Amino acid sequence: MTDPALQMTGVRKVYGSGDQEVVALDCDELTIAEDEIVALVGPSGSGKTTLCSIAGGLLQATEGTVEVGGRDITELSASELTDFRRTAVGFVFQTVNLVPFLTARENLLVVDELGGRRSRNGAKAKERADQLLDELGLTDRAGNLSSELSGGQRQRVAIGRALMNDPALVLFDEPTSALDSKLGDQVVKLIRDEMKSRGTAAIIVTHDDRITHYADRTVHIEDGRITD
Amino acid sequence: MFLAFHEIRRGPVRFSLLALAIGLLLFLVLFQQAIQNGLITSFVGALRNQSAPVVVFSLDGQRTLQGSTVSDDIDAKVREVEGVDAVARAGQGTFTVTIGGGDATDASILGTDDPGLGRPSELSGGRRAEAEGEAVGSEADFEVGDEVSVVASGDGEAVVLTVVGVARDVQLSVEPTLFTDLATYEASVRAVNPQAPVVPVNGLFVRPADGVDPAELADRINEAAPDADAVTREEAARTAPGVAQIRQSFQIIFALYGMVVPLVTGLFFLIVTLQKARSLTLLRAIGARTGVLATALVTQVLAVTFLGVIVGIGLYRLVTSGGELSSLTVRFDPALAIGWGIGFLVLAVVGSLASLRRVLRIDPMDATTGAGT
Ligand SMILES: Nc1ncnc2c1ncn2[C@@H]1O[C@H](COP(=O)(O)OP(=O)(O)OP(=O)(O)O)[C@@H](O)[C@H]1O
Ligand SMILES: [Mg+2]
Repeated sequence: MTDPALQMTGVRKVYGSGDQEVVALDCDELTIAEDEIVALVGPSGSGKTTLCSIAGGLLQATEGTVEVGGRDITELSASELTDFRRTAVGFVFQTVNLVPFLTARENLLVVDELGGRRSRNGAKAKERADQLLDELGLTDRAGNLSSELSGGQRQRVAIGRALMNDPALVLFDEPTSALDSKLGDQVVKLIRDEMKSRGTAAIIVTHDDRITHYADRTVHIEDGRITD
Repeated sequence: MFLAFHEIRRGPVRFSLLALAIGLLLFLVLFQQAIQNGLITSFVGALRNQSAPVVVFSLDGQRTLQGSTVSDDIDAKVREVEGVDAVARAGQGTFTVTIGGGDATDASILGTDDPGLGRPSELSGGRRAEAEGEAVGSEADFEVGDEVSVVASGDGEAVVLTVVGVARDVQLSVEPTLFTDLATYEASVRAVNPQAPVVPVNGLFVRPADGVDPAELADRINEAAPDADAVTREEAARTAPGVAQIRQSFQIIFALYGMVVPLVTGLFFLIVTLQKARSLTLLRAIGARTGVLATALVTQVLAVTFLGVIVGIGLYRLVTSGGELSSLTVRFDPALAIGWGIGFLVLAVVGSLASLRRVLRIDPMDATTGAGT
């Protein structure tokens, strides 16, 4: 058996102190299998973004251990976390996902530049970007800036960007919130296809119960606690 | 590289405008520097570019030939100082002259009794003065073959000097300047002032013996003749009255530019950085090393400034190609251009430190909320 994509044990995130203490996340146990797609559902402020941020190495937990693809990231330094985010996870954020002065294709290629000169893949990255754009049906939009793309196209570029580094785990924070329900449905279906064809694990955060049927499993969260 | 140049490609106008602004600033600096050098040269070029390494004034002469009077006593003492090879006596004054029968104009005449001392060290045309009445003139004002008459007054006898050679950068006190023999100078003084009993010697031009350091010789002369004020040719030029003041006022201007350059580039890049704060936050969140983002910023600063430097030097080259601006000599000086160009690059990087700080302090976590702008 291979390592799970995500293993969180006793993870708590507490903001502030004393009377002002806010427990944003209090997760005893969460395991996501190597190729599992999990829908994370919960009301606003329940800790969904916090959970994804900790799993993705953007935020450090106050306590507990986090393993991604078998690697313990709990004790990593800030610069190690940067490298971890670039190489091991994919993100699709709630709001901003694209760099406006780069074309769709360049938004994918930029991932290859972020580690500096030595970590570059060059031609391989170009090949991969073109293949992803093809899979996402964006080949003829590859040269357009994000301002020239529709909302759905933008979201697809973001998905491509998140897959550029061949991550062990992809974190989607409300990938459909800006789209109408039909388009949202398409995007989630696309996410599922992309994940399944690669055998990559994913967490899809959503308010929308209708799209959870594309997931292998639905996890509910409330007040920072996972309820089932 | 990727980030830096793709951004410039998508917003070429704003980056070109900055390059243009930097170019104009550099051009102004170089041009003013050229004017400063031209001004100083027109004030003291005659001293700086003459053949004697040591110049002797009288102590009360304030380092101008015209204000200085060298007594026979000083003259005798200087000649006895060890290490002196040759001494020329010199007289200098401003006269009203006509060139080739044209309009009257002021000119400075500098006469020495040794054609090898106190005369332009290099000619740009013609030959050196040999016979009495022959002169070498400042290139900007005279041509070989010019007949220059000193306008006489009262029953004075007019003197005519024939320009047989010209030299570059040899003006004195921003006047047309003629270098001739001492007798012709004295005749010129008598033309204006026929009653003058004696024509005083204004200064001495001294050549040190082989292997003697001019600065050391000047010190020795000052010790031997307490009323003398001996200096090297370079110091005579540097400390002449007016020169220090010119330098000082220009230095203030240059210091102001030194502040404007980092301000302009700094502000520009700070605005650009703030405008793309969301993108930078996103890039940090998906694993961009701060070094990569910082390098992109510095690359942009250097690229745009470099472009500006090219523009500035190009303009400077263009404007100085004539070599002259009204009567002032302004010349293209490559060392100056390169020096200031490098200075501008450094200043621009210094100015972008605020943006750099902003880039280094991005919190990638802000990407989850869309904050960070
Ligand atoms: N930097 C912070 N400082 C203090 N409290 C915070 C901070 N970030 C988040 N919180 C709090 O932690 C809790 C969980 O926030 P989180 O953003 O994870 O919620 P969410 O489930 O993503 O909500 P939404 O669906 O609205 O995006 C909230 O109560 C929030 O106010
Ligand atoms: Mg959220």
